[in-house]
Amino acid sequence: MSPSSEPERVVALPADVDLHARPAAAFVRAAMAYDAQVTVAAGDREADAKSLLSVLALGAKRGTLLRLRAAGADAAKAVDGLADLVAGLVETPV
Amino acid sequence: MVGIVVVSHSAELANGLRALAAQMAGPDVAIEAAGGAGDRLGTDEATVRAAIGRAGRDGDGVVVLGDLGSSILTVRAVLDEDPHDDVCLVDAPFVEGAVTAAVAAGAGATLAEVVQAAQEARGVAKL
Repeated sequence: MSPSSEPERVVALPADVDLHARPAAAFVRAAMAYDAQVTVAAGDREADAKSLLSVLALGAKRGTLLRLRAAGADAAKAVDGLADLVAGLVETPV
Repeated sequence: MVGIVVVSHSAELANGLRALAAQMAGPDVAIEAAGGAGDRLGTDEATVRAAIGRAGRDGDGVVVLGDLGSSILTVRAVLDEDPHDDVCLVDAPFVEGAVTAAVAAGAGATLAEVVQAAQEARGVAKL
C-alpha cells in the first residue's frame, strides 16, 4: 500500500489537555484495539500509537495538532476513532 | 486480564508505582505491590507470593517486575518453589516497564503481549 493511500487525519488536542499520563494511556489503549498500524505525529516527531512510552515522548501539549495515519484492514476506522477520541479528551482531576 | 506485580525493596516505591500504573491502566487491571520486608527495606518471599496470587485472580497470567538485583532473586526463589507457566518475571525498566505492561493489560493484551510490551520499554528513549 502506498503512503498516499493511507488514511490520515489531523486533529488538535483540546485546549486544556496535554498528551501526558492518563490521556496518553487512554489514547494508546484505544489504538491497541485496532489491527491497523497507527502512527501519531506532533511537529517533527512521530510515534507508534500503540507504544505508550513513545507517545509520552512526543511531549504534545494542549492545542497541538496531531497527525494520525494508519495502514491495515481497519485503518480508516482507526484514524476516525482515534481522532474522535483525541478531540474528546478531558483532563480529569487526580 | 493479565495481572501485574511490582516488587521493590521499598514499600513506598512499590505502592507509588502501583498507583501510577493503575491510574493509567484503568480500573480493571490487577496491579499488586510487593514492597519491603516487614517494616524495613528489603524483599520478602511471602509478600511476593501473596501479591502474585492476588494479581492472578483472572487466570490470564501474571507479569512480575522487580527493582534491583536481590528483588529478582526473591521472585526467582518464589517461582522456583512453586513454578507456574503463567507467571513471568520480566527484565524491564521498573517504572516504564510496569506502566507499559499495565496499559497493555488494560487493553486486553495476552500474557505474551504484555511481557513483550514491558521488555520493549527498555528501548524507548525518554528524551
